[in-house]
Amino acid sequence: MQRREFFKKLGSAAAITAVIPMMSFAADAKKQAGPNEFSYEKALDVITGGKGAKASPKVSLKAPAIAENGAVVPITVEVESPMTESDYVKAIHIFATKNSNSRSASVHLTPANGKAIFAARIKLGSTQDVIALAEMSDGTFLTATQSVKVTIGGCG
Amino acid sequence: MERKSLIKIKPKKYKNGDVVKINFMVMHPMETGLRKDKKTGKIVPAQYINNVKFEYNGKVITTINVWESLSANPVFTIYMKIDGPGELKVTFTENTGEVNETSTKIKPKG
Repeated sequence: MQRREFFKKLGSAAAITAVIPMMSFAADAKKQAGPNEFSYEKALDVITGGKGAKASPKVSLKAPAIAENGAVVPITVEVESPMTESDYVKAIHIFATKNSNSRSASVHLTPANGKAIFAARIKLGSTQDVIALAEMSDGTFLTATQSVKVTIGGCG
Repeated sequence: MERKSLIKIKPKKYKNGDVVKINFMVMHPMETGLRKDKKTGKIVPAQYINNVKFEYNGKVITTINVWESLSANPVFTIYMKIDGPGELKVTFTENTGEVNETSTKIKPKG
């Protein structure tokens, strides 16, 4: 009898130890949301004022197709524009669609820049689309999208 | 806290009217506020640059709003039209309210 009880206890103890790490993992996943959560759809609505944007070949977004390390992903955005007082790029916005805060950077340009080019390195939490949104001086919004495959995530 | 920062202009020799590339680099951890310290198990508080302003002879040419998803030790690359000698000043603000600035002289030749 003693041996039988011992095995019963051992079995229940094993079940508990198996459950505990799963519970703590679930708690971790909840914390990942972060204080600055901001989805891409919401950000697009706020910036364009509900007008929406259309894809355009004028905007070129250079990003690697496969990023080994999600903590450092180099991106370059170039917008075709003469950059004169009457026709220039007002702003370039960069979004990582699946990051908890999808906004990465908003670059507000002036005609004094000469060229509408911005480059930086961003963090990507998982495989996702990177979107560049260009705000032109005539009020139109143009986008370019590039999907980046991330093998090791870089957020937290 | 003093941050190491640097402004690089490419190409090194330029004339009036040229459009040059400006690289602005900062040594900064860019903590997202999501990462856990492996030793203590506590979440590292968020600390990141949230605004970068480029001023050329007192005129603002570019402002960048930044959020936490930029890499550590960020490099910002923009372009600028040279319009006479002067000074390029870069001011950067952190989410904690701390403000730092750095500047470089613009000396066009010819």
